[in-house]
Amino acid sequence: MHSSCAAALLAPWARLANAALAAGEGVSSGAGSAAAPGRQAPNRGAAGDGIVLGTSAAFTGPSRGLGNELYRGAMAYFRQINDSGGINGRRITLKLYDDGYQPDPCVQNTLKLMLEDQVFLLFGYVGTPTVTRVLPMLKKFQEEQIYMFFPFTGAQPQREPPYGDFAFNLRASYRQETAGLVENFLATGRRRIAVFYQADAYGRSGWAGVRAALENHGETIAGEATYQRGSRFTGTMRAQVEILQKAAPDAVICVGAYAACAAFARDAIDLGLRVPIANLSFVGSENLVNLLSEGRDDPETYTRWLVNSQVVPSYEDESVPAVREYRELMARHNPQIPEQFLDDPYSPLPQSFVSLEGFVNAKLMCEIFRRFDGAPVRAGLEEAVFSIRDFDLGIGEQVSFGPERRQGLQRVYYTVVEDGRFVPLTDWNALPA
Amino acid sequence: MKVHKLFQRMRFGIFALFGLIVLSTSLLCIRTVDTELSAEYAANSQSIAKTIADASVDILLNRNLATLQSLIDQFLEVQGIRYIYITDETGEFLAHTFVPGIPEVILESDPFRTEPVERSLPGMGDFLEVSSPILAGVAGTVHLGMDLDLVALKIQRAIGQQVYLISILLVVGVLASIWLVNLVARPLAALLAYAVETARRPPEERALVIANEKLLERDDEVGQLARLILYMSRTRPPSDPQALPDPGAARSAA
Repeated sequence: MHSSCAAALLAPWARLANAALAAGEGVSSGAGSAAAPGRQAPNRGAAGDGIVLGTSAAFTGPSRGLGNELYRGAMAYFRQINDSGGINGRRITLKLYDDGYQPDPCVQNTLKLMLEDQVFLLFGYVGTPTVTRVLPMLKKFQEEQIYMFFPFTGAQPQREPPYGDFAFNLRASYRQETAGLVENFLATGRRRIAVFYQADAYGRSGWAGVRAALENHGETIAGEATYQRGSRFTGTMRAQVEILQKAAPDAVICVGAYAACAAFARDAIDLGLRVPIANLSFVGSENLVNLLSEGRDDPETYTRWLVNSQVVPSYEDESVPAVREYRELMARHNPQIPEQFLDDPYSPLPQSFVSLEGFVNAKLMCEIFRRFDGAPVRAGLEEAVFSIRDFDLGIGEQVSFGPERRQGLQRVYYTVVEDGRFVPLTDWNALPA
Repeated sequence: MKVHKLFQRMRFGIFALFGLIVLSTSLLCIRTVDTELSAEYAANSQSIAKTIADASVDILLNRNLATLQSLIDQFLEVQGIRYIYITDETGEFLAHTFVPGIPEVILESDPFRTEPVERSLPGMGDFLEVSSPILAGVAGTVHLGMDLDLVALKIQRAIGQQVYLISILLVVGVLASIWLVNLVARPLAALLAYAVETARRPPEERALVIANEKLLERDDEVGQLARLILYMSRTRPPSDPQALPDPGAARSAA
C-alpha cells in the first residue's frame, strides 16, 4: 500500500528522469554519442568531449506534433554529423524534457537543464507561452551565458529588449508573417480581416502583428475570437465562429496550433463562414491538413479555404539544395521519438515544414560550433554567431547575424493545399471567395 | 404534576433564550464575516490590479503585448481571479483573458473607470471588477474580475463553520440546563409525592407514611421541608402557632 502510494507520488519524477535518460539513449543508439547522461557533464561554460544541448518542448498533448517533428528534423542532421565524427571530434547530444506546451513545466525543465544537467545551451524550444516564461531565467543567470538558440516561435519577446540579448532566432517573426498575410489580403480587396487566436502570449503576439499591419493601412481588426490553449480537434469552436460571423470578415487569420485551428476551420465552413482561413507557420501545417481531410469523401471540403504562411521553403521543392539534403537525411536516419513520450501512438511525418525548420536549425547550429577552433565555450558563442555573415544554408536566402540582427532569416512563404499537399501560393486573387 | 409543568416552562424558557442568543450571534457573525471577507477580497483584488499595473508600465511602453499577455496569464492562476483585461489610454483592449471573446457588457463599459463595480456576465457568473490605472492612467488601465460566486462560497463556508460551532454550544447548553433542572425537579417531585401521600391520610395515620431516607438526609431546602413534613405528621397540630418553625428563618436559609 505504502509502496504503491510512494510510487504514484514519485511517478511524475521518475517519468521525467526516464524521459531525459531516454533522450540520451535515443541519440547515443543512433549516433554513438559520447555524451550520455551521467557519463559526461560539460564544464560550466565549455563543452567537453561532447556538446549537450537542452530542449524542453511539446512531446505530449494536443500540440505534440510540433515538438516531435522539430526534434526529428534536427536529429536527422545531428545524426549525420555525429556519424561522420562530430564537430572537431565532438558529438552532439540533445537532452530532452517534455513540457506539453505548458509554461510551468517548461520553466521547471529549463531550471533542471541549466542547473542540474548543465547543458551547453538551450536549443529547439517550442512555443511562445513557454519561451516567454523562460526568458527572464536567462537574464537571471546571465553570468552563466546560457543562450537560447532557434526557438520555434516568431514572437517578439526574444527578439527585443530586455530579453533579446539572450536568444538567437533563425526563423522570420510572426510580425513578418502576419504583415505579409495582411498586405496580400488587402491587396486583393479583402479589407475586413478577423483574428482567431490562442488566449495566451502566442495568440497575443500574432494578434498584435495583425493589428499593427492593419494600422499601417488605416484599418482595424474586424472581429476577434479566442480559444483555450490545449483545445482538441474533437472540441467545438462554434461559439468562436458565431462571434466572427457577426463581424462579416473577408478573411480570418488564425494564430494557433493545428488541433484548435483545424476545429475552427471545420466549424467555420460548416456554419457558412466561407472565407480564406490563414494560419501561421507555427500551426503545424501537415497535421492541420491531416485532421481536416482524413476520412472525408471530399478531402478538400475544408482544406481549399486554407492559406498557410511558412518560414522555410516547401519540402517538396527539390530544386532547393537544403531540401534535397533534408529529404535524404530524413529518409536515411528516420529519427524516432523516445518511447517515454509515446503514451499514445504517434505516426511520424515523412517530411514537414516543422521538421525542415528543425533541420535547418541544426544545420546552422553546427556551423556555429565549427566557428570554434577547439571546444566551444559559452563566452565565445555570441562572437561565433556574429561571424555568420551571408552564410548559405542552402535554402535560397543568405543568413546573417550581428549585434543588431539576432534573427537569421527574414523571408516568409505562402502556401495553399492542392491534392492534399502544400504548394506555393502564386495568385492571391485566385483564393476562393 | 405541577412540578413537571413548572419545569417544562423553564425548559422552554431556557431553549427560547438560547435560541435567541444563537440567532442573534449568528446574524451578527454573518454580517461581520460577510463584510470583513468582502472587504478583504476587494482589497486583495485591488492590490493585485495595482501590482499588474505597476509591472505593466515598461512592457506597455515597449508595446510588447506578448509579454503583457504572459504577465496577466500568470495572475489568472490566482484563486478567485476569473478575468483580466488591459485597456490603453484610448480605451482599446490590448490584452485580455476572455474565451471565446470579450463579453458585450465589458465592451460597452467605461474603460477608464477605476471604481469597483459588480458585474454579471452571461455564461460566466457574477464578478467584482476592480481597476487600477497604469502610470496614473496615461498608459492605460488594468481591470480584474474576482469571482463573486467563489467569494460567496468562501463566506458561506466561514459563516457555516461559525454557526456550526454556535449550534453545538446551543445543544450542549440546552442539554446541560435540562440536566440541571432535572437535578432540582427530581427531589422536588419526591417531596411533593411524600407531602401528597401524607396529606391523603387521616391525621392519626400520617405518621405511618414512610419518608424517603435520602430525602430526609438532604441538607438543602428540600431536606428541610421533608423533615418538617415528617415532624408535622408525627405531632398534633400545636394549639400555639408560635410553636411552628419560623417561615422567615426558612426563607433566609434558602
